Formats: sequence, C-alpha cells, structure tokens
Amino acid sequence: MKFLKNVFVVVASAMVSASPYSLPAQNVDATMLLKPPADSWPSYHGDYSGKRHSKLTQITPQNVNRLTLAWAFQTEHTATIKSSPILVDGILYFTLPDNLWAVDARSGQQLWHYTYPPNKGDHIGQRGVAIYKDWIYFTSPDAHLISLNAKDGTVRWIVQIADVEKGYWTTMAPLIVGNHVIVGVGGDMDNLQTFIRSVDPETGKTQWQWDVTPPAGTPNTATGGTTWMAGTYDPDLNLIYWGTGNPTPVLTGSTRPGDNLYTGSIVALNPDTGKLVWAFQPSPHDTHDWDAVETPVLVDGVFHGQQRKMLMQASRNGYFFVLDRTNGKNLLTVPFGPVNWTLGVDKKGQPIPNPAKEPAPDGRLIAPDEGGLTNFRSPSFDPHTGLFIVDAHPSWSIYFAKPADGTYGWAGADYGLWGKGVIEAIDYQTGKIRWSHEVGPGGSGSGVLTTDSGLTFTGDAHGNFLALDTANGKTLWHAGSGGSIASSPITYELDGQQYLLTSGGGVLFAWKLSDTSR
Amino acid sequence: MKRFLNAVLVAGVGFLVFHATLVPVYAASGDGRSQAAQSPSGAAPDKQGAESYANHCAICHGEQREGILPAFPPLVGIKRQLTDQQITDLVHKGKGRMPGFPKLQDDELTALERYLASPGLSAPEMASGASDNSSGAHSSGLAEAGGALFHQNCAFCHGRDTMGGETGPDLTRSKLVQADVAGDKISEVVRDGRPEKKMPAFNFSSQELLSLSAFIHAQATKAASMKGGRRGVDASDLQTGNVAMGKQYFNGAGTCAKCHSPTGDLAGIATRYEGLQLEERMLYPRGAKSHVTVTLPSGQKLTGTVAYLDEFVVGMRDADGTYRSWPVSRVKYVVDSPVNAHVDLFSKYTDADIHNLMAYLQTLR
Repeated sequence: MKFLKNVFVVVASAMVSASPYSLPAQNVDATMLLKPPADSWPSYHGDYSGKRHSKLTQITPQNVNRLTLAWAFQTEHTATIKSSPILVDGILYFTLPDNLWAVDARSGQQLWHYTYPPNKGDHIGQRGVAIYKDWIYFTSPDAHLISLNAKDGTVRWIVQIADVEKGYWTTMAPLIVGNHVIVGVGGDMDNLQTFIRSVDPETGKTQWQWDVTPPAGTPNTATGGTTWMAGTYDPDLNLIYWGTGNPTPVLTGSTRPGDNLYTGSIVALNPDTGKLVWAFQPSPHDTHDWDAVETPVLVDGVFHGQQRKMLMQASRNGYFFVLDRTNGKNLLTVPFGPVNWTLGVDKKGQPIPNPAKEPAPDGRLIAPDEGGLTNFRSPSFDPHTGLFIVDAHPSWSIYFAKPADGTYGWAGADYGLWGKGVIEAIDYQTGKIRWSHEVGPGGSGSGVLTTDSGLTFTGDAHGNFLALDTANGKTLWHAGSGGSIASSPITYELDGQQYLLTSGGGVLFAWKLSDTSR
Repeated sequence: MKRFLNAVLVAGVGFLVFHATLVPVYAASGDGRSQAAQSPSGAAPDKQGAESYANHCAICHGEQREGILPAFPPLVGIKRQLTDQQITDLVHKGKGRMPGFPKLQDDELTALERYLASPGLSAPEMASGASDNSSGAHSSGLAEAGGALFHQNCAFCHGRDTMGGETGPDLTRSKLVQADVAGDKISEVVRDGRPEKKMPAFNFSSQELLSLSAFIHAQATKAASMKGGRRGVDASDLQTGNVAMGKQYFNGAGTCAKCHSPTGDLAGIATRYEGLQLEERMLYPRGAKSHVTVTLPSGQKLTGTVAYLDEFVVGMRDADGTYRSWPVSRVKYVVDSPVNAHVDLFSKYTDADIHNLMAYLQTLR
C-alpha cells in the first residue's frame, strides 16, 4: 500500500512540475482590455487608443544607457518577426506566419509552440494574436481564424474567414471589443470584395460583416480596400475605427472611376452592429497601392484652443491627417514628406489625385514609393510633448500601367528607385516636424513606442534598436540586433522591473535596466 | 528506500508511456525541443519513420518536410534529387550545418528512408498516369501532372504559380522559358540545377520533365492573360521621349554633364543596359560608391570608399581593399556622395524630362 502511495505521490508531483499544463489562468476580460494594468500588454496596440504610449517611468533618459539584455528568444526561423507580442499573466504570445509561441516573460523560455499546417495563403506577415478570457485568436495565411487554449495551445476551433482559393489571405491581430472578435482580410492580387467581420468569441460564428465596396462585378466600381490591420476603439463613443486598403485593380483606375468608397478610407463603425457611422478618405481613387490601414491613433486634447476628441493618421500616401473622431470632420491635412501626386487638398481635407500622375505605359515618377511614406509599423503619440512620432520613408519610384496589363489584380508594375528612413516628430496641431532623426538608407521598418519618462524607442535601417530623447530626438542608447526590424516595440512591468521588448530578424529581445539584474 | 525507488521507477515508466503518443498536426507540440520518448516496440514502420523524422530532422527541415528557406531545404521529393545511398551517407555524416547521425541504423534508418520517399502532406495525388499520356492528346493532363510535381519540388522557391517565390525567380517572365520548346531548355536547368544560385539538381525522368515544362508554359500563358500578379515593362514601352530635348536637358537643367560624359563614362551605356534597367540606373544607380575621408585623433587622414555607415560606426575600404572601421565618436569623417545629385533631381524632373533623357541615353551605343 505504501508502495502504491509512493507511486501516486511521485506521479502527482511529476505531473504538476513536469507537465506543461500547470500554468496560471489567463483571464483577459473587457475591463482589462479597457484599462490594461502595468504588467500587461493585452492586445496588439497595447490599449484601445493606439497611441503606443506607456505610463511606465522606471527607464528614463538618465538611466536608459544602462539598458541590458534580459533574454533573447530565437524562433530559429529566417522570416522576420512583424508581430507585436502580447503579455498577459507573465506569458508572452507572439507569431510568425503559421507559427504561434507562448514564452515565459521572466525566463524567455518557450512554453508551447503551435504550428498551423502548410497552406496556400500568402505568407507575407503575421501581426500577432488577440486574447480574451482563456482563449487566443490567431489568423492564418489561408484566411482562417483559429481559437486556441492560452494555457497549452490546443485548438478549440478553426473557422474560415474567406476563401484562399479566390485570393484572400489574413495576417492581422484580431481586435476584441466586448464580446466581439473583429477581423479583416488581405488580398489585392485579385479583384475581391473585402470586409470587416465580427465573430462570436465562443464559437467563431459571424455576428456581423461590413463590406468595404459593392460586390465584385458591379460596373464602374472598385473592389478591394483590404482591412489587414487591427483598428482602434473609443468606449465612450462606442465606435471602432478601421483603416481600409487600396482598391483593386491596383495600378489602373480605368474601370473604377470616382472616389472608390470605401477603399483607402478610415471608417467608424458601431462594434455591436457593424453599421457605418462616418467615413473619411485619405486616399480617394488611389492608383499607387497606398492603403489607409495605418494606426488610427485616438487622442483627447486641445486643437487650436478647443478641446477635441481626435483621430490621427500618418497615412501611406504621404499625408498626416487629424480628424474629429466624433464625426469624421477634418481638422488638419499636411504632407509629412515628399509627395508629388496631388493637385492639392479639397474642402473635405482629402487629397485630390493628379490624373497626370496615374501609372502610365511609359512610366510616371512618383513620391513616395509603393511601400509608402510610412507603412504598418506603429507610430506613437506622446501627450506631454504633443508629438506624433512616425517612422517615415521619403522615397521615389516609377509606376507603369498599360492596356495590355489588363484590369485584374495588380494590373501594372512599379519599381522603387530610392528611399531612406527618418523618424519624424510631428506637432499634431500644425503638422510641422519638430525634430527628425535619420535612420539610414532604404528605410528603417521599426515602429515607435514612447513612455511617460520622455523616451522614444525605435530602430534604424541597420537593425540597431534605438532609445531617443522624446524632446529632441537625440540617441541615448542603442543595441545591434543583427537582423532587420519590422515590428513595433512594447513595454510592461513585471516583478517591479520595466521591460522593453523588441525584435530583429527572427529573434525577440527583452531589455531591462542592468543594476537590478543578476 | 528501495520501495520508494521502485515507486519512482514505476511512476517514471508510466510517465514516459503517457508522453509517447505522437502529437496530431492541429495541436500544440509541447516543448518542441525535448526528445520525444521511444515508441513502444512493435510500432508500424511508417509510424516509426515519421517518428524518427520528427525526432531527428523536423527541427531543421520542418514538421511537414517543408524546409525553412533559405537555410534548410525542403525534403519533400528528396528521392528525386538523391539516391538511397546518398541519403544514407548524408544522414550518417551530415553536411555543412547539418549534423551527422551515425547511430541511425538498421530498422530505424530503413523506416526513415521509407518515410522520406512518401509524398508530402499537402501535395495532390502524384499523377502516375503521366507516363501513359501521349504528349499531344492529353496536354492538359500533362500540365496537371507537372503541376503536382511543381508544387512538391519547385513551389517553395518559385512560388505555387511559378511567378516567383522567396528565393526563386518568376518563371513566367523568364527569357529561357520563353525560348524553351517542349522542355528542351527547361529540362537542362532542372537536371543540372544552378548551383551558383543555390538551385539543386533534380533527377526527373524525361516524361516528368515534359510535364513540368508543360505546367510552366501553361502558367506563363495564364500570366499573360487574366492573372493578378505584377506585370512587366518592355523596352518598347519606354520610347516616348525626344532625343534632342534629352540632350539639351543632359547638358542644361539636368546638370548631368557636371559629372557624366557621353564619350567618357557613358560611352556605350546603351549597350550595357537597356529598357527598364537603363531607366532605373539613369534615375538612381544602385551600388554607386561614396568616398570618405577619416581624420584620426593623431591628425592623420585616411581615404577610401564607404563600406559601412550608421550612427555609431564608420567603415572604410582603402585602395588596397583593406577594411577598417572606427567608432564615430573617436574620429572625424567627411563623406562625399556624388550619387546624391540623382536624389536631388527627383523633385525637379518632369516626366517628359525623364522620357527625353532616356531617348538621348539610348543613342549612346
């Protein structure tokens, strides 16, 4: 009997200590998403405002030069990480296409790794996961939504978002609002109708869907307007703000005259019904593959002497927009780098595309290039300085389209000639660039994070992580990652220690101050 | 004490048996780095081969043999590239970054090799009927069979639709493919590989090569009609400029003559580059070198070409080809980038200027 009892004791303790299943509960609920505690980063943007600005002040301009490596996690994949990790209850979750890792944020050791099977979807990138209660929501290249148990990565269900055979793919981190899991799609190599969809977090069943354009095949209208980045949310107004992508066919507008609503737009939807409340179009009748999916940053503040609820976007097409987010009215439209494709700005504050700069058979010189004056990596808004800080990419390119290219999918060709990276700190009330920090030829690719202590974290074109003084852009700390940076930094506090998380290539790096390490 | 140790032993065996099950595809793989326990004896050879693969090979070559490009090649269809003996040698001795597994022998080795010969997870049925087809009457069947082969062996690099992947070019715009007749040129490349470009050689039969070529040609035809990918630019598209006006711009407002000469550095430029490539280089010549003069704390000046430059380090190659670098804080340096004149012109060109310049440059043969 004692023998069996010993067996039981040994087995039980072995199960508890050696089993990967004995993890603390993840219990992300609406309250946590509304007011993320300091020891969390529970969603792609960190919070619903998209400011990517942290209240943590342990790391300061005075001590940041003591930032040291706490640990690195090597995915051992050659793909470059594009995801923002999320941190809940001491566990980090981050992704590459088809891959999801759960890592202990204290040790940097892997807890589990989920691999989605090989599939036909476009493996262009993966922005990260969403978490709600005990469940993780992960999108696949072949346009499926997978719900996994956060404790051990076992799959609860997989639902199809769209048909990969038609040309759809998904890359985005879903946005959780209330009991809605909100997803969008990619796919501009085909003339596809795209959408924003809300699904039930328990079952994955569709709750509502908002279509960006009329159905494919409607005469003289665009398709496209992919919805491939997570939006932001105002709980008081109960509105989600979502950017839409470029129209299809991409480089030719001959079959889609007019503004091509709601492609290249920022739309405000009711998250419970999916109804459109207002829309603003940063890129009317786009013919250069310029999405308007860049983070719609929500800021409450003074604009020209008046308190305003604002929405700010540094858009791919080269313009910085400030809107009143209650009604979509334009407050400011200013370029934040070289642009040469407009005839000016109309009464609504929307750029007027110059027909002479649409892609042509013998080519048109265009600024910026197809990658845009900025792209999906996050900007940051620092409330203390009123600076909107963005990774900008001044660039030039040539765009071609001829009748033989047809009117399907890309329908043309574009070639980047030259570009560089500049971190720009934009005064949101005027659009003036208060300081800029060159980050190298080709362009940086790192997003931006700011903190209350006056630090700006970003990176350069050579894979260096940078800490800058938010007041003047001067470099205070750097570390070389040895890889290209294509993600936005996050920060959180754990055990009284502030961590900064960055990625270079396929490696995730965790940084903290050295005088408390051992 | 002895009873307790027995208890541990019983518990331990039970624990190992509990963890011996294969992980199904849709589930998480636990700690991917740990060695899975030996399966109970008597497991079927296919399962043993799959387990052996999962234990020894999957970490580099992917759980579905899909590889991790560009460093770790896919193994689906590896029997096309290597004989059994070659595979055995590779497994035992390793190669380059791949370690050897000299202890992998006998039953396990046989099972592993049988597993490696099995088709990949997501590949469509291998069309064994391909060898029965006469090439004329069943050409669409031939292309379909070629498609299956292509997906398994070529798609990782060249894309599923042959329009290019991460490490392989777009075959639909390939001059070699366009010149190919019934696989005569394509077969050579597939059989020999392109080792200097990291394309392996493939041991396909003549019929299989025919089917592959049929598929590639079908894709090229498809690409020319209703398809969504990027299109191309032909030299004939770029002939809308005026030579005289281009020459005037070259010597005048374009300021090109300050650095360039039609009889000097640009003599014969249009025989070296044509079409889109010429126009791109005209607007911005990638790879143009910048010069740097570095002043050391001693006052000594060194000159060379810029080999690396960020905020923190300046790296230079001198005339001998020696590379030297310094922390930026310890030296003074001045960079001279003549190529920046091209960047300054971007905001000044009209599109007509560009087309005229192009017309003029194309006369410099």
